[in-house]
Amino acid sequence: MVSSSPAVSLAIVAAVVLATIVFALLGVHRIKMNPRQFIVGGRSFGTLFLWVLLAGEIYTSFTFLGAAGWAYGLGAPAYYILAYGTCAYIIGYFLLPAVWRAGKEHDLLTGPDFFTAFYGSKTLTVAIAVCQFVLVVPYVTLQLSALQILLQMAGYGRYDATASVAVAFILIALFVLTAGLRGTAWASIIKDILVIGAVLFAGVAIPMRFFGSPAAMLDRFVRLHPQMLALVPGTSAHGTIWFVTTVLLTATGFFMGPQSMIATYSGKSEAALRRNAVLLPLYQLILLLMIFAGFSALLIAPGLHGTQVDRSFLTVVARYYPSWVLGLIAGAGALAALVPASGLLLAAASVFVKNVLGDAFGVTASDAARTPATRVAVIVVALLALGLWLAVPRTIVELLLIYYNGITQFAPGVFAALVWRRADAWSVGAGLLAGFAVAIPLTYANIEPWGINAGFAALLINAAVVVVVSLLRPSGSSDATRSSPGNRPAYRRAD
Amino acid sequence: MPPLRLLLPAIPFAALSIAVPLVNRVEPRILGLPFVLAWISAWVALTPAFLWVLGRLEKRW
Repeated sequence: MVSSSPAVSLAIVAAVVLATIVFALLGVHRIKMNPRQFIVGGRSFGTLFLWVLLAGEIYTSFTFLGAAGWAYGLGAPAYYILAYGTCAYIIGYFLLPAVWRAGKEHDLLTGPDFFTAFYGSKTLTVAIAVCQFVLVVPYVTLQLSALQILLQMAGYGRYDATASVAVAFILIALFVLTAGLRGTAWASIIKDILVIGAVLFAGVAIPMRFFGSPAAMLDRFVRLHPQMLALVPGTSAHGTIWFVTTVLLTATGFFMGPQSMIATYSGKSEAALRRNAVLLPLYQLILLLMIFAGFSALLIAPGLHGTQVDRSFLTVVARYYPSWVLGLIAGAGALAALVPASGLLLAAASVFVKNVLGDAFGVTASDAARTPATRVAVIVVALLALGLWLAVPRTIVELLLIYYNGITQFAPGVFAALVWRRADAWSVGAGLLAGFAVAIPLTYANIEPWGINAGFAALLINAAVVVVVSLLRPSGSSDATRSSPGNRPAYRRAD
Repeated sequence: MPPLRLLLPAIPFAALSIAVPLVNRVEPRILGLPFVLAWISAWVALTPAFLWVLGRLEKRW
């Protein structure tokens, strides 16, 4: 045991968060904000800056706490985290340049804008906007739950972190309404550096100190818990069928969130997107170290159950390392919650202002009105997420499931837009309705039919409905603008 | 035989999804890793190479 000082560790967390905000504000202080600059960074991010932004938004506190927590609590099912991201980047190699091109040609700003460009239905766009808005809020709430764990652990469990979570979160909302997407990208630089440091510490330094090396830790783990290291075959909970369907679901849904669409539009060129799809699996590899961290924690500090497993490797740090180490690790974790949260707030706010207020009610349609309106909306979304978090406590994994099962239902519409011209607003809308009709009750009741991931079952039905309805509708109905020659899909605009 | 442009992305994708139940074993361990984890990690590491070659083939770089 080492002496523990909550004052030292919490001061370090606060310093890390504040220093990151100051750094990011300095990075953007000369940029003049208009909606294009504010929401999609003026479509100017090169390969490296885009890589930092994507890694910054993708590797959230769930990766940080959840990967170790799953390895600690379940073992092999945690391997899915390595697999799905990589499968998503393979899809992204084809998808991201196509989405970027549509964004550039039609000056798209938000996720639902993409559907306007391809399907030309205001009703569909507004419905999608409302759904995406509703789904992003629990994803933000997830970051708040993670932040609470981190701050509680940094304070050695001696104080209730609710108030500090609220303060940190409002701070980050004020930050993003000042700095926009470019600010999130600058903040991601510090976040990525600190998180990589924390992951190396967790996955290499901890096993070395307690077992001699990561390999020696694994030897010990194989002797004590061999059954945890491979999946249970078949249809049982977290078995092999669950593994495959979950990887397919989450890889499909990976880039469907409005925050991912925005990040995609922010690229400078198709090439910048494509290079990122090639390079990002390398970042994915460091998650292997978080699995090591979870395994080590189970050997060093067994006995955590249920939602407590999310605290596994931080428990080891708090027990055996000085307060300043805990402060740095928790600080990195806090950034891993706050930086993605800033991107999510921006995405949800822009969806609300552009697609709900603008497309549905015709207000804030001008560029001049949109930036201030989006800023106000950032605060509204932040307060909404904070309210949901205070009112309905849920675990990190539950919140992630709600998000993924829902957001993936937009995938058939996005893929059909790019490769299958017969699909139109009617078929995509019908597919979405069917998908949600299956996903909502299964997610709510936590049912996985035959071991199949609930969201994946819904996705299959959704895609089938899109195909059937498209084929049933007379082929002439998808109007002439889409049947132009050439192998690129013909775009059409709403108005 | 499907063209290389389809195989290059499809191979790592399948290796990381539908193939995992076929390699779901702890032994033999590779560098200390359980076999299934070593399999997944190796394919994660190889994926950039597959996509890079695909990009070359498509004359993207």
